[in-house]
Amino acid sequence: MSGVKGSRTLMTPHLALIAAAVAVAAVPLLTPDRYVLKVLVYVGVNVIVIAGLALLFGHAGQISMGHAAFVGIGAYTSAYLVKTLGAPWLVGAIAATMLAAAGGLVLALPALRLRGHYLAMATLGFNEIMYVVFREARAVTGGNDGLGGIPYPEVAGLRIDTPVGVYLLVWGVALLTLLLVTNILRSRPGRAMRALHATENGALACGIDTVGLKIRTFALSAALAGLAGALYAHGVGFISPTTFGLDQSVIYVAIVVVGGAGSLAGPVLAAVALTLLPYADALVPGLTKETIAVMQDWEADIYGLAMIAVVIFAPAGIGGLLRRASARRAGEVRG
Amino acid sequence: MDAAEFFQYVIAGLKSGSIYALVALGFTVVYGATGIINFAQGEFFMLGGVLAVWFHSLGLPLPVAGIAAVAATALLGVVFERVALRRQRSANPLVLVIITIGASMVIKSLARHLFGPDELSLQEFTPGPSIDVAGAAVERQALWVWGLTIVAVLVLAWLYRRTKLGRAMRACSISHDAARLMGIDTARVVMVSFGIAAALGALGGFAVTPLTQTSWDAGAAIGVKGFAAAILGGLGNPVATVIGGLVLGLLESLSVAFLSSTYKDAISLLVLLVVLFVRPQGLFGKARRGKV
Amino acid sequence: MIFLSVRGLTRRFGGLTAVDAVSFDVHEGSIKAVIGPNGAGKSTLFNLITGFDRADEGSVMFDGASLVGRRPDAIVRAGLARTFQNTELFEDLTALDNVRIAADLGHPGGFLRSAIRFRLAPGERDGAARAVHLLRLAGIDGFADTPARDLPHGTRRLLEIARALATAPRLMLLDEPAAGLNGAETRTLIDALYRIRDEGVTLVVVEHDMGLVMEVAEEIVVLDRGAKIAEGPPLLIQKDRAVIEAYLGEECGDDGC
Repeated sequence: MSGVKGSRTLMTPHLALIAAAVAVAAVPLLTPDRYVLKVLVYVGVNVIVIAGLALLFGHAGQISMGHAAFVGIGAYTSAYLVKTLGAPWLVGAIAATMLAAAGGLVLALPALRLRGHYLAMATLGFNEIMYVVFREARAVTGGNDGLGGIPYPEVAGLRIDTPVGVYLLVWGVALLTLLLVTNILRSRPGRAMRALHATENGALACGIDTVGLKIRTFALSAALAGLAGALYAHGVGFISPTTFGLDQSVIYVAIVVVGGAGSLAGPVLAAVALTLLPYADALVPGLTKETIAVMQDWEADIYGLAMIAVVIFAPAGIGGLLRRASARRAGEVRG
Repeated sequence: MDAAEFFQYVIAGLKSGSIYALVALGFTVVYGATGIINFAQGEFFMLGGVLAVWFHSLGLPLPVAGIAAVAATALLGVVFERVALRRQRSANPLVLVIITIGASMVIKSLARHLFGPDELSLQEFTPGPSIDVAGAAVERQALWVWGLTIVAVLVLAWLYRRTKLGRAMRACSISHDAARLMGIDTARVVMVSFGIAAALGALGGFAVTPLTQTSWDAGAAIGVKGFAAAILGGLGNPVATVIGGLVLGLLESLSVAFLSSTYKDAISLLVLLVVLFVRPQGLFGKARRGKV
Repeated sequence: MIFLSVRGLTRRFGGLTAVDAVSFDVHEGSIKAVIGPNGAGKSTLFNLITGFDRADEGSVMFDGASLVGRRPDAIVRAGLARTFQNTELFEDLTALDNVRIAADLGHPGGFLRSAIRFRLAPGERDGAARAVHLLRLAGIDGFADTPARDLPHGTRRLLEIARALATAPRLMLLDEPAAGLNGAETRTLIDALYRIRDEGVTLVVVEHDMGLVMEVAEEIVVLDRGAKIAEGPPLLIQKDRAVIEAYLGEECGDDGC
């Protein structure tokens, strides 16, 4: 982030996004396979969640072990409003985002007073409480049996009920999210977040309103997770409490850690790679069902070990490796 | 509700409260020595039960299997500290949190692979009918739970007060720098603390398995409750932690008695959040201005 | 004109009174020093004034407005900046970026506006230019692209001063700026302090380096065990018996420093 040279470096991530958009648009043209598209929908949903968590945890340094709960809040809110109450899909999606944001605001309050592991425990407790709510509030959530038959998204009277349609909707939102988050990170709020992460006293001494920053970042991060939840619910059609439990929150944290704090590209790439891993047979046709089963079985170990290894050996994660590689290349160009 | 019924709930609360106290002591011992929260503490509890079942299935008599399970878990705690945490001592506490979270993921998953996904059980230590105390039925195993908890607490107290190691641990909990100036090997204290914490958790797991069964994923729930207990009493203060455990157990049990059993698990979570929001130093901790 | 007015400021930690009913004034455009033996409560005093700690009793008035109970960032926005005894720099960022973050202060940039921006806002370009200017003022513009963690000790302290300046303060509190500096670096620091004062910034400095204090300060406040035991111009302080007993006597001979 060397600033004065400014506008040129501002463009590079935008170019990357344009390239990504082209790639995203190309996929359905290359393969109309329902399974592939469905897996890529999961990837897209996770990218949205991770973008928000990278903002909160990677940049501002506020750990959240409860992000899956926000996804769940968004998913159940939208599903309930649209399926049970018959509201239009956009209303459901917006309500999901707002309610999740409200949850983020609530969780931001202890964040103001707690740090590090205490905050981790508070967010963990929040996730566990929401899990109990998802399980027990059967009238709204369907309890352990889950909530099925969730209608397809419908925008401006147009029902999006094909695999390609859902895929394009989810990835459209994902790319837009990445664009917005990228812009935020490159401007004043992003710098303020990095300052807060580095040393809160230093940030305060620079006149940064750390209280307001934490609250806003929590709310935005939670809102994105809620939006992802809404998209997931309507894209997949069925949701149940286990999808939004603590294990999933830990996986999100692991993805951001492996991807690298202080970067957006790293966590996003990690999200894509790690979400695809248990479904690798979608991309690599040669893999047998047994191999996939083994990978899914050992998923948690892979995540846990990867997290520990990254933190010990490559603290900057994938993002750090990318930065070093591009710095080296820039050095070569300048010669 | 009559007195006997009420007493039954109290007994139940003290029973689970003892287990929470053991797990909570594990949190407190590690926190006192290192200032971090070991997110893998719940898994130590799980290993106590799971390993005991396995050792017993290999033919070891029950008490030996239990001792072996506790010892093995303690060893794991020590190894974990040496391998994963030792070098990161000066790192950002967030880094240490992540390492313990990663470790708990791996331990949990390995347990599933090695010992299977099903529930595992142990016979009671001294099989026999429940004992009648003032109209309430007290399982014999519950007596074992209390007995072992009391022994563990007494041993810990003796350790802290009467041994050089205990004094070193207390010094570390005040300040690592001061302790080092006094010539204390703080690295060794940290390592031993992890071993003790693991042993305490495992003891709880072993003692309670005949009552509640155990399985590879028993760690997460108990970990949260143990932490809630520790923080309710006051993290870093062993006596307060034990009280916190018993209080939490009672709160849970009484909520089932007077409210409903549906949200029983949410009680400890609510306690956790309320304490963190309102009084992070716990019931017996000293208030500190500024952040926790 | 009295710019900063501290009255009866008190802070207790359990049984220990770290700051004991301290009162003094700072005149606009002056350089004031706060000295005292170790543990006299100087850093605590700074924390109380700048909002990093909450006073138990007393008041702090800055340019007519009360500072007690306000958050540190609000106090910075009111025009009062500080540096720390142990520098609180953004270690992974370059010297330039450290200053830039503080320079952001003048330019609002909420989440929404930032999210839809595609070009550098004009305010931001100014902020970057100001940052370069301030580094030059502190004499460390050669280190602009060096990460803070790689900077030599003296440069770090100057960087923190440059960063504090970027918030456009009218009064600056410097907590032991010369700690760990050699003779030449201290000279650079003293020159920088004069330049800053000439730019119109009032300075309050906590220092142990008596040479610097006697040269730079127009007025000195002496603390011992949390209480003020003397206040006045350097020449009077040098001769003050209470001060010599408490502090100077340990370091210097009977003929002063």
